[in-house]
Amino acid sequence: MNIPWLTILIFLPMLGAVGVALLPREEHGQHRAVGLGFMLLTLGAAIAVALEFDPAPFAPEFQLQTNVPWVPSLGIGYHVGIDGIALVLILLTAVLGPLVVLTAWKSVQTQVKEFVIALLVLQTAMLGAFSALDLVLFYVFWEAMLVPMYLLIGVWGSERRIYAAVKFFIYTMAGSLLMLVAILYLYYAAVGPAGRTFDFPEILRLAPGLPLAAQRWLFLAFALSFAIKVPMVPLHTWLPDAHTEAPAAGSVVLAGVLLKMGAFGFLRYAFPLFPDAAAAFRPLVATLAVVGIVYGALMCLAQRDMKRLVAYSSVSHLGFVMLGLSAMTVEGLTGGVYQMLNHGVSTGALFVLVGLLYERRHTRAMADYGGIARAAPALAALWMLVTLASIGLPGTNGFVGEFLILAGSWNSRIGGAPWFAAVGAIGVILGAVYMLWMFQRVFLGPNRKAENQTIADLSGREWTILVPLAALIVVMGVHPQPFLDRIEPSVQRLVDRLGAHHGAEVGTPPPSIDRQELILHPVPTTPYGQPPHLPPQFLRRLQELRRHHP
Amino acid sequence: MIHFQAADVAALAPEILLSAGAIVLMVTEVFLRGERRGYQALLTAAFAAAAFEAFAAQSGNPPRAIFGGFAVQDGFATFAGAVVCAGLFATALIGAGFLRPRAAERGEFYALALLAAVGMCLLVRGADLLFVFVALELMSVSTYALVAYLRVGTRPSEASFKYFILGAFSSALFLYGTALCFGATGRTSLSGIAAAGGGRLLLAGLGLILAGLAFKVAAVPFHMWTPDVYEGAPTPVTAFMAVGVKAAAFAVLVRILLSAFGARPFAAAWQPLLEALAVLTMFGGNLLALGQRSVKRMLAYSSVAHAGYLLVAVASTARTGRAAAAAVRGEAVTGLLFSLAAYTATTAGAFAALAAFERLSGSEPQPWDLDRFAGLAKRRPWAAAATAMLMLSLAGIPPSAGFVGKLLVFRAAVDAGLVPLAILGVIASLIGLYYYLRVVVVMYMEPAPAGAPVSPPSWPTDLTLVATAAIVLLIGIGPGPLTAAAAAATGLLGG
Repeated sequence: MNIPWLTILIFLPMLGAVGVALLPREEHGQHRAVGLGFMLLTLGAAIAVALEFDPAPFAPEFQLQTNVPWVPSLGIGYHVGIDGIALVLILLTAVLGPLVVLTAWKSVQTQVKEFVIALLVLQTAMLGAFSALDLVLFYVFWEAMLVPMYLLIGVWGSERRIYAAVKFFIYTMAGSLLMLVAILYLYYAAVGPAGRTFDFPEILRLAPGLPLAAQRWLFLAFALSFAIKVPMVPLHTWLPDAHTEAPAAGSVVLAGVLLKMGAFGFLRYAFPLFPDAAAAFRPLVATLAVVGIVYGALMCLAQRDMKRLVAYSSVSHLGFVMLGLSAMTVEGLTGGVYQMLNHGVSTGALFVLVGLLYERRHTRAMADYGGIARAAPALAALWMLVTLASIGLPGTNGFVGEFLILAGSWNSRIGGAPWFAAVGAIGVILGAVYMLWMFQRVFLGPNRKAENQTIADLSGREWTILVPLAALIVVMGVHPQPFLDRIEPSVQRLVDRLGAHHGAEVGTPPPSIDRQELILHPVPTTPYGQPPHLPPQFLRRLQELRRHHP
Repeated sequence: MIHFQAADVAALAPEILLSAGAIVLMVTEVFLRGERRGYQALLTAAFAAAAFEAFAAQSGNPPRAIFGGFAVQDGFATFAGAVVCAGLFATALIGAGFLRPRAAERGEFYALALLAAVGMCLLVRGADLLFVFVALELMSVSTYALVAYLRVGTRPSEASFKYFILGAFSSALFLYGTALCFGATGRTSLSGIAAAGGGRLLLAGLGLILAGLAFKVAAVPFHMWTPDVYEGAPTPVTAFMAVGVKAAAFAVLVRILLSAFGARPFAAAWQPLLEALAVLTMFGGNLLALGQRSVKRMLAYSSVAHAGYLLVAVASTARTGRAAAAAVRGEAVTGLLFSLAAYTATTAGAFAALAAFERLSGSEPQPWDLDRFAGLAKRRPWAAAATAMLMLSLAGIPPSAGFVGKLLVFRAAVDAGLVPLAILGVIASLIGLYYYLRVVVVMYMEPAPAGAPVSPPSWPTDLTLVATAAIVLLIGIGPGPLTAAAAAATGLLGG
């Protein structure tokens, strides 16, 4: 019996939204409980998906596929399936889901029903966007994320919420509409023997053959949409407003998952579909990435508002992710994906923590705090842990990601690669500065303000939110292998694809080993189990042979 | 001399049903003793549903000429006619909720609406310019009267007068164009004109016909009457004008362009013209809508903008250059038909929302101010959710019928090699996003002003609102059947 776990996973939250919609309006407790219950069920389904997923390097690229016609006359299908990258991002989304509901348990008291519905619908849209293998289906889920997020910011946000919500919506929509035209052009231009289709694997086969001029435009249209979402400097200006005005729960989803959608788009669509254009625009992407790293970090140093600081730190961290992706080496890409997870966990936790302080004192200005570590020691300890993860201390998850990114970027064949890595490393230092500076100003020193003397420490509910995140920070820091094992085969495929078009520019430079020697002697392996410098088909065959004839 | 045949009469079953409905309503109105007129809207809706069914029964029939070639019965006309009937159905329900509180419910209103619908249904099957003209006038004259139906105050008379003068002007243009075509070819039938061909005189005739129809579909720069007339007319009538008149006018526009002027030299002449009209209309409508505080005026400009998107589809039907393949032309017509249906459902719903929330005394300035929508999410959550769904569909955000419509239209444009037009189209719809979102912002994010009078809820209006929102959502989730129907209708485009 073949259970469509992925479909169940995607639509469980939607089912929950319908359930909540049918509950009576005043029963806030029930709305929250049903919302939490469905988020937990979704997490269970995500774990089932993860268990079904085969991480072996020779397993099929897209697994757990379901493919049924949706609008047959247009070649649109309900086609879902995941690779390793999508799998880890789905797990991240599913883990954050219940925590988000818990975050808003006390702070959202008006229109609770609509709030829970918005969260659940958003969850379905995000899971769907990660799983979609049909361009129209992806676009539908991609756009469907907008409306609930827009409502979350605009209805439950703080003072300038309407401005921030409209800005968020129009920015994101501007990018995605051009992507829609690009999708339509692909449908028109990439025609295989089976006729026209929006099916992603089919288009993935055909699109790289398009002429460079067309690829450039298509890449730009896709990349604009994704770069707004990431966000990459200079398209980032919606982010500080959206984060600052959103309720804590909204910020967690926005930082934790929605921003990843942009980087995921680059990985899944913009790079492999248009490898020639991706190679051509790589210096631009890398440059914008390091500009984002440094600019975001410098902006953090100038903030008085904690939430705004965390928002700008996201700009900086996502710059790291994009630097890793633009390296187009296995290390860089793996690090980029890993850093996406790290950022989701640690920045999500930071937004939760800022939200907890805001619930207590109703201010986000750092100047209103100081020395509260004495009053709330557990809060301070957890904050410190998250801070360390965010600045990439060894032993936390942030270290693994940043290290891989910088190593991959240093080794990449982009012109002046060490410079990009070096400038990126400045961001690591600045990151330590602003994060520790915030910790110091909020928690250390004398506790002078009377209203800060009695600030409450963590409650049971708040422990429940923070302990899983703290555990993830540590586990992902000391034992990253299970995650990397799942990410790496997908990344290897991407590098192969890009390398097939630009062998001389993608991947790590070959070490100085004679090919003849390599065939005679056991295959040396990189930390990721694959020698990087032979045609991938050949290597796979070689490894299979080695497995069968040890 | 025209010979009537039994089969011709059978083909006209929908129109006959609608006319019978009009007669029944007029006659019963005369003999009515009391004031109980609730049956009238329901009767109208029933006749509209019956006519819809009659059209549905005709779908799939092979195309054939009726009345000696003056008209045709084909899938295209059947689909467009069914859309008109659906629009009439919604109009009747909105009318019931709208007229009752204003003590203005009379049989004439519904009879006029039914007669206008007869004109529209005949219009979409016209295969001869004279027949088209007569149907156009039947539609227009009924609509002039409907616009002036609430005689109180200056607005309705201004609106009606403006519409009448400009409508007469556009009819004259159309008629003059017909005359020139006749002068150039000696024919008035579409196929005859296509067979005869001709030079500059025929092109001039085409230009005049296009201008006349551009008035009817409210394409920029022939849109000047739209905001005032849409605002001054009673809301159900505005709804009917926005959906029925527009659908019928677009259908006949496509038929004339493809059947009479489909040949390459003509297509090369009208395609750039329609592209320019489409760009002007999309941007004009969206930009003018941005500044409106009156929701009714905003919807008027929004309907102008949507005419622009539909014109993109019409421009993509041209058989020129890369678009020579019949498949491409078919895609464009399918896109147009689907969008017409999606637009009809969405716009009818949007006007139902307006009718549900507008202030009762229509004579005061601004009974349709955006403030009327403030805080609705708390006071009327379901109505607010339905309105939000309709606004998102108008903005073209998935999953909604409006999104699929735009997808099909822009796909047709890209296929026809009009990529710049598609890009301009998405930029224009981005502008539109702002004002549609503003309605959602006001409903969900702003508190109701203190002491704001609440419109009394009326079930027919609310039913239309919620039902259209549900339909729009369902079409967005499962567009398959409607797409298939539109594609089938395209395949049966006669001539």
